[in-house]
Amino acid sequence: MTIIAGAPFAASILLCLFGRYLGQRLPPATAARLLTALAVTVAAATGLVLTSAGVLALAQVPRIAADGHWSARSLHASDHLPIDAGAVAGVLVAGLLAATVLKAGQAVLDVARATIACRRLALSTSDLVILDDDACPRAYTIAGLRGRVVVSTAMLRALAADERRVLLAHEAAHLRHRHHAYLHLVALAAAANPLLHPVAQAVNLAVERWADEIAAKQVGDRQLTARGLARAGLARATARPQYQLLPAADTYVADRVRSLLAPPARRRPLIAAALVAVTGSCLIAAAITVTQTRTQIEAAETVYLHSR
Amino acid sequence: MARAAGRPRGALEREVLASLAAADRPLSAADVQADLGDGLAYTTVMTTLSRLYAKHAVDRVQSGRAFMYSLPDGQHGARSNIAAHRMLQLLDTGGDRAGVLARFVADLSPQDEQLLTELLSRDSPQEEQ
Repeated sequence: MTIIAGAPFAASILLCLFGRYLGQRLPPATAARLLTALAVTVAAATGLVLTSAGVLALAQVPRIAADGHWSARSLHASDHLPIDAGAVAGVLVAGLLAATVLKAGQAVLDVARATIACRRLALSTSDLVILDDDACPRAYTIAGLRGRVVVSTAMLRALAADERRVLLAHEAAHLRHRHHAYLHLVALAAAANPLLHPVAQAVNLAVERWADEIAAKQVGDRQLTARGLARAGLARATARPQYQLLPAADTYVADRVRSLLAPPARRRPLIAAALVAVTGSCLIAAAITVTQTRTQIEAAETVYLHSR
Repeated sequence: MARAAGRPRGALEREVLASLAAADRPLSAADVQADLGDGLAYTTVMTTLSRLYAKHAVDRVQSGRAFMYSLPDGQHGARSNIAAHRMLQLLDTGGDRAGVLARFVADLSPQDEQLLTELLSRDSPQEEQ
């Protein structure tokens, strides 16, 4: 284990500190794509490095070394990482792996449930499902294998026709660009590496902003898009007393409205390039670490053979 | 369909359905055209309504020389509501995060509410008829 193994951890800490900022600086589509890729890579890289450290610690246990036919002493001499630290890493990675598997199971269940819900709604001939509910303004996308947009009549009546167009374009954009896939991936990454939670939040916001920007482009008016969003938000706020929903995932309405009223985000090739570079170096660092670990164990096997 | 330009496939159909749902009475093609605005041609709206009717997505009744369109019960009424209601429960119990993706808007903080109200009153006086 060398200093290179620290790269994915350094990247995690940087992302933990600057994830939100990066999400806001980049154009939303770029932010969602790059940050998701980066989060998944960093999560995998930290997992691999921790696993390597754990394996090295485990391999120094005399009984395991005897079973595996390698020299525990040689391994101990070649390993710069204290065995206790390795053991901690091993326990940590086991826990994180379990959390990730759990999350993946949940994601599969979510998609399955959404798919079933969509099939039940399939009797409507369009991918738009209108809820006959004049009391509670609701609008959301159900993303199963085939998605549906669900809107209540209360929401439709709260909006003018051009604002309804904004809402429909926003929800359709979620479906067309498979935004739920980004959310699932980044949630998995955050389960595997809790330092990535701020990035997951940044991707959540970026996905909403992405759909807002697509809607704005379609209606050709950012001001109108902001207005539709604001009106929908207020319609919910007015209905809230009777229809208290769970504290839902924040949809950052005010942030989104502000972004729509500001000029569109500029492309930031330097930030994007830096993110790609960080992604690449995490991958390389993980690959080097895994290779080094293998080499160390092979060397210990040679020592074992010669000592007999 | 030149005037439907800028809309991806299916977008206009959804808008027409939403327009019918938002109205509290059956609408003629001219009503829908007037509601949607945006320079849509009458024939475009008519074509969309006919296509929706062919798919049984809307009902229509003859009234004088025009057809009046409304949402049928299948779409709008009890059956789809049961399914949707089940799903809402799923959503409200937090069973589904990314699967039920992103409500369009979630609940607002009081400050946000203030900000949005100001924005609306500043932005669109012509709307409050």
